[in-house]
Amino acid sequence: MKRRPRFLPVDLNRSALVGAAIVLLVIVLSVLVPLLSPYDPVAATGPALAAPGGQHLFGTDQLGRDVFTRTFAAGRLDLILALVGVSAPLLVGTFLGAVLGTTRNRLVAWLWLMVIDAINAFPFVVLVIAIVAVVGPGVTGLLIGLAAVNWARYARIARSRALILRNADFVEATRVLGYSRLRVLVRHILPNVYSETIAYGLSDFVIVVLTVSSLSFLGAGVNPPTPEWGAMIADGRLYLQTQWWITVFPGLALSFTAIGVALLAHGVSGRYAGEK
Amino acid sequence: MSSGASPETARTTPSSAGVKRLLARTLRHLSRAALGALGVLLVTFTLIHLIPGDPVEILLGDAATEELVAKYRQILGLEGSLPQQFARYLASVAQGDLGTSIQTGQSVNSVVARTLPMTAWLIGVTVLMALLMALPLGVAAALLRGTWFDHAFRVATSVSLATPSFYFGLLLILLFAVRLGWAPVAGYQPGFPGNLQYLWLPALTMSGALVPILARVLQSSIAETMEQEFVETAIVRGLPAPVLVWRYLLRPSLAPTISLLGYILGQLLSATVVVEIVFNLPGMGTALVVEGVLLRDYPVVQGIILIFALIVVAVSFLSDTVSGWLDPRTRLS
Repeated sequence: MKRRPRFLPVDLNRSALVGAAIVLLVIVLSVLVPLLSPYDPVAATGPALAAPGGQHLFGTDQLGRDVFTRTFAAGRLDLILALVGVSAPLLVGTFLGAVLGTTRNRLVAWLWLMVIDAINAFPFVVLVIAIVAVVGPGVTGLLIGLAAVNWARYARIARSRALILRNADFVEATRVLGYSRLRVLVRHILPNVYSETIAYGLSDFVIVVLTVSSLSFLGAGVNPPTPEWGAMIADGRLYLQTQWWITVFPGLALSFTAIGVALLAHGVSGRYAGEK
Repeated sequence: MSSGASPETARTTPSSAGVKRLLARTLRHLSRAALGALGVLLVTFTLIHLIPGDPVEILLGDAATEELVAKYRQILGLEGSLPQQFARYLASVAQGDLGTSIQTGQSVNSVVARTLPMTAWLIGVTVLMALLMALPLGVAAALLRGTWFDHAFRVATSVSLATPSFYFGLLLILLFAVRLGWAPVAGYQPGFPGNLQYLWLPALTMSGALVPILARVLQSSIAETMEQEFVETAIVRGLPAPVLVWRYLLRPSLAPTISLLGYILGQLLSATVVVEIVFNLPGMGTALVVEGVLLRDYPVVQGIILIFALIVVAVSFLSDTVSGWLDPRTRLS
């Protein structure tokens, strides 16, 4: 059994570099937007529905708010939401999955596995939106929904990885050396399991950022007037034929981010989702 | 491994032990599906208990009278202890009763019956359309592995997967419905074949997420099949290209795609929710969002997501079973 520290970008090929450049650009613009733009993202700062150019690089929306400022203010929120929506379930789910893969308590492991499989049986967006419906929309509801659903996928991956590792030679060796089971789990199993789930986490980031904006697009995510990509696209829908910029710029920012992360994930892990 | 055997010879000589193994496998899949359904019911049941505070108070607010509170408790199934509630929930679902809407008083069954056919049509058209695009793409990408086409294929599928379906849908509306006038902007009329006019653009939107998955799985499984000896044998035998591609390349490669059907359907159902809203289609996704989530109609939410998950469980069971039949090699090893 080879130990592969997979999350180190050992093979930074062209697609990973392009992806990294795109992601970096979005991050930099999102962080620096208060310095780059004199406008308030939630207040009217010009005439309504002004075309791109001049005072307003991306134009203004139906309420006279600056689309450039809003697009990158939204970027900050979406990136933070997706980061939390990936990392919290990753940490918790991986730990739980690794414990389930190594525990000797068959019944407990079986019951947990049933819950994990049940959650994973639901279409992702569908269960997240259902949880948001009961706990209430907004940033908190969105994060609760993402965390409650997403941990199960990490637990599934971590468990199957831990099951393989449990029988690996180097784990066998720790048993011979008489290490405690806790030490084996924390020092030898978990690091290897985490390298696997972190590799998945990067492609999961794409799914989560799309889910966050989808829910806001449907009106079940971030509440207006807070700028968010999906919510902005929903706002601009009615003006799509004439004032395309309200929809197209936040959409481009969202797609570029997702594509950048996807290329990065693809390049870093050297394989891609859908292929085993 | 029986990788050297031709798929034909393996199929024409099914041993009784092989059939027995197949039956045992199917039974195992069936019990797993039953457990899966039970777990799904546990999740939908738990959902209503995730509401912070008392759901009846939240729903009724100041209008709460003792009578109304009792009535809503009964509708939401909140009487008695948790195990009692769960038992009652299981019993009513087993009898085919999904509950009653608290906003309209309609049965959730009638909401599902009204919206399911349209969603089924959308998914059917999407799958057909996606297969028509993914099959040639996957075959080409597998045959041209390592060439510029393969690289373009990888980048294009990554880009397509990362494009949000609601954005893609809006752009397609702008191009095909508004500029070219080839499709209605939104809306739906039931009845085949007239409904296809309303469905092809939403189906194309959903294909944007489905084609990359299908084509990639096909590409990698065809590439794997090409390394098998029976393919080499077929080439040496000088079989005509269509026979070679279908019987010796595609058929043995379809099993991985079919075993992914449950996962793919999950993705499709997620996409339906968004795409139905974009195109204003009166399907289950629209019902979930508009009648359930936005109106906080908990029984409607519970009922619809239950149907969604049960469909996924059922299709996963079917695809596990069928992929076992389709690829005779799984019977042997």
